[in-house]
Amino acid sequence: MNDYIFKNLKHNLSAVKELLPAKDILTYEFETYDGTACAIIYADGMVNKQLLGDLVARPLNNLSLENEGGRYEMSDIIATIETTLLFPELKKESEWGNAVKEILDGNSLLLVDGINVGFIVGAKFLPVRAIMEPPSDVAIKGPREGFIEDIKTNMTLVRKRLKTPDLLFEQLRIGKRSDTHVVICYLDGTSNEKVKNEISQKLQEIDVDCIVDSSYIAALIAPKKHSVFKQIGSTEKPDVFCAKIAEGRVGVLVDGSPIALTFPYLLTEDLQSSEDYFVSPTMATIFRGIRFLSLIIALILPAFYVTAQIFKMQLLPLGLTLTIAGGVQGLPLSPSLEIFVVLLLLEILKEASIRMPKYVGMSLSVVGALVLGEAAVSAGFLSTPAIIVVAISGICLYTVPNFVETGSILRWIFLLVAGSIGPLGIILFATFLFYYLVDADGFGAPLLAPFSPLSKRDLRDSIVKYGFQSLSKRPITLRSKNKTRYKFKSN
Amino acid sequence: MQQLVQRVHGTPKSNNSTFTSAIGARQICFFAAFILPVFRFLETPSLLSAYTEGDLLLPAVLHFLIQSLPIGALLFITSKTERGLFSLLYEKLGKVGTRVVYAILAIYYLFSTILPILDLEKYVQAVFFDTAPSMFSLTPFFLLSAFISSRQLRSFGRIADLCLPIFLIGFFGVTFMSVGKADFEAMLPWFEFPFEKIALATKNTTAHFSDAILFFPLLGDYQYKKGDGKKILGSYWVGCGFCLFFFATFYGLFTSVASTHHYALSKIGQYFSALQTLGRIDLIFSYLLTIILFYNVTLPIQFCVLCITKTLGLKQRTPTSALLNFGLFLFAFFCNRHYDGFYALVSKTLWWIFPTFSVLLPLLALLLLLGKRRTNAKNRTLKENTYAY
Repeated sequence: MNDYIFKNLKHNLSAVKELLPAKDILTYEFETYDGTACAIIYADGMVNKQLLGDLVARPLNNLSLENEGGRYEMSDIIATIETTLLFPELKKESEWGNAVKEILDGNSLLLVDGINVGFIVGAKFLPVRAIMEPPSDVAIKGPREGFIEDIKTNMTLVRKRLKTPDLLFEQLRIGKRSDTHVVICYLDGTSNEKVKNEISQKLQEIDVDCIVDSSYIAALIAPKKHSVFKQIGSTEKPDVFCAKIAEGRVGVLVDGSPIALTFPYLLTEDLQSSEDYFVSPTMATIFRGIRFLSLIIALILPAFYVTAQIFKMQLLPLGLTLTIAGGVQGLPLSPSLEIFVVLLLLEILKEASIRMPKYVGMSLSVVGALVLGEAAVSAGFLSTPAIIVVAISGICLYTVPNFVETGSILRWIFLLVAGSIGPLGIILFATFLFYYLVDADGFGAPLLAPFSPLSKRDLRDSIVKYGFQSLSKRPITLRSKNKTRYKFKSN
Repeated sequence: MQQLVQRVHGTPKSNNSTFTSAIGARQICFFAAFILPVFRFLETPSLLSAYTEGDLLLPAVLHFLIQSLPIGALLFITSKTERGLFSLLYEKLGKVGTRVVYAILAIYYLFSTILPILDLEKYVQAVFFDTAPSMFSLTPFFLLSAFISSRQLRSFGRIADLCLPIFLIGFFGVTFMSVGKADFEAMLPWFEFPFEKIALATKNTTAHFSDAILFFPLLGDYQYKKGDGKKILGSYWVGCGFCLFFFATFYGLFTSVASTHHYALSKIGQYFSALQTLGRIDLIFSYLLTIILFYNVTLPIQFCVLCITKTLGLKQRTPTSALLNFGLFLFAFFCNRHYDGFYALVSKTLWWIFPTFSVLLPLLALLLLLGKRRTNAKNRTLKENTYAY
């Protein structure tokens, strides 16, 4: 098989059949005014056929490739076609490999008899979802746009917000079979070059069949493959993505995924919400404080409840201890087993309500929360305090939506160690967790920054949120080349 | 940019591009101010009260003054090196000599963990359980210790950063609940006890105050910058201040029966009036300080592993760490019931080991260095004179 396009159209068409035997690869054959055979090869459903007809087939049909002196030279034919087809995305291609990739990508290949060059016509038309608010990151204040599955649209959403020539997109194709478009997005002169190069290198090293979503990329290039902690930032919102890029981070967009990745990732990012930047710094600080407190409650409360019942009753006031004692009297399960069962039920309900159709999910929640809970307490299987504790913990965890998966796992471990050795287990696990986290660096930044290593300047946008005047410098942790973010004129 | 990197990571880069400090000055300061004092919140106050009652601050101050000298000496020596104490040691003693020093230090660090581990086990059993604790209750601590000991010093530096908020919340929480009830006048009059008693108290509590030698590994791969000495020594005294305030509050609270109240950390806040309605929330603050206590107790173990790997030229720390901690677990498991015997052995019979390592060794090193420098200076003058003539 020749790697290059032939002069003879019939040979080319049989080559296409051999290279692309799939039934959805169609050929549209027509002739020019002088009778020269032409063909457009395209993937059915991926091109704008009307555009191809109006801007390719019709002009060529009226075009003559010969004059009184006979047929044009090949170079003249190519030049004539290029000037006739007023198409913004038109390029020559002589290799079959690239031409096939373009066809599969949704572009069309125009072949003309007598010339050994094909024309890639960018008449791609892919069905895309409308831009809407991402369900996982709902904002009361601020922009509501969300990324969609089409990478071009996502790039446009980014470009729309960062109208600077410094915004660069580095394009890659990953996946032997999926040949997925992946784009590294960064601000030249602001992003850390080392981080960008590291990401680029790691992406190029990926050797898999198929990239379906950005989470595949995140899992494949994560520094610690088995860590329960998130090591790469993610967002569905273009405004958040752009803010992070402008801060000096590097982003990655993946075709087919509405979730964009950001590097490097810091744990404090999960405590932040895009809304924090649209309200007063004091309010933002209060909200972040509430989220931080909620996170601690979510992780520790079930373990604390167990430990206060089994190992260290003094931790609770006497009145509360007596109330709980009254509530758990006659229960068949031990406190740790009881909390374990309720937590397990919560996780099952959560999984079921996410997977169920919307309306069924709502009824399922009602059945789970009210009927099951109430019935279990009445029947004496579970106690009311245990259900309250798990419910509070569950609600608190959802104040930090990006931490839910990790938080759930940590909550189980805290419960396990608390049930085994009481408060000592909680303290020992917390001690271990801190030591583990301070050692976790990813893409040039420590996960626990700016708390460890301590960076006073970066603390201004951590749990505490300062005003914009105090955030004029970019975070030290990101090691951005351009240190100044804002310049304020003094009044 | 380099300065920024240094500030973030606490790893100031040397002019020599191949050298990176394992730990930053700020992190050593935090270690001195927030990690070192915590072990002294357990048994030290009651022990000092047993010897000197209201004068319990005097032996403590004496200890702090004595320890400041070797710490100052170590910092001075570090200021004269380019790459920290480890490289200086290698330059002065060569490969074999350095390994001998590391071996001796490893034995010392192992020895110095005996009392803290036994104290920690007693503390855990007394404070973390209302019910009868299992004999294996401290087992997970050794798993944690094995993990920590296998890490690099850089991680410890970062932990020191994290200990700042934990210590401040825990310490001020605990003292806030106790300081209102403390009768500081009970400590008066000062110098009630003869100096011999204070000296005896100082001698018998050396195991609790031998801080200087813990600075050696921290300054091992550390590039000194101008002013670091003052900062670190100042931070050490901030830590001493926390200790003295804690001791004073403890004695002010329990006065003449202070010596019978073991594990001061868990007792000091128990008379806070709001505990009736809130439960023992003072324990939450004690537990926070216990996190730092774990880092404090694992530190000599970590240093012991470091010295063993340096002595044997091992690249991996994990096997050494695992073996050492397994040994310590067996020791804690079998020897816990002989606490009094071990306590007497370490703090009364073998007490001299602590000042030998934590005071004499750094001062001796300083003298050797100064002596060597003087000889070098003399040689240089001779050489110059020779050339001149």
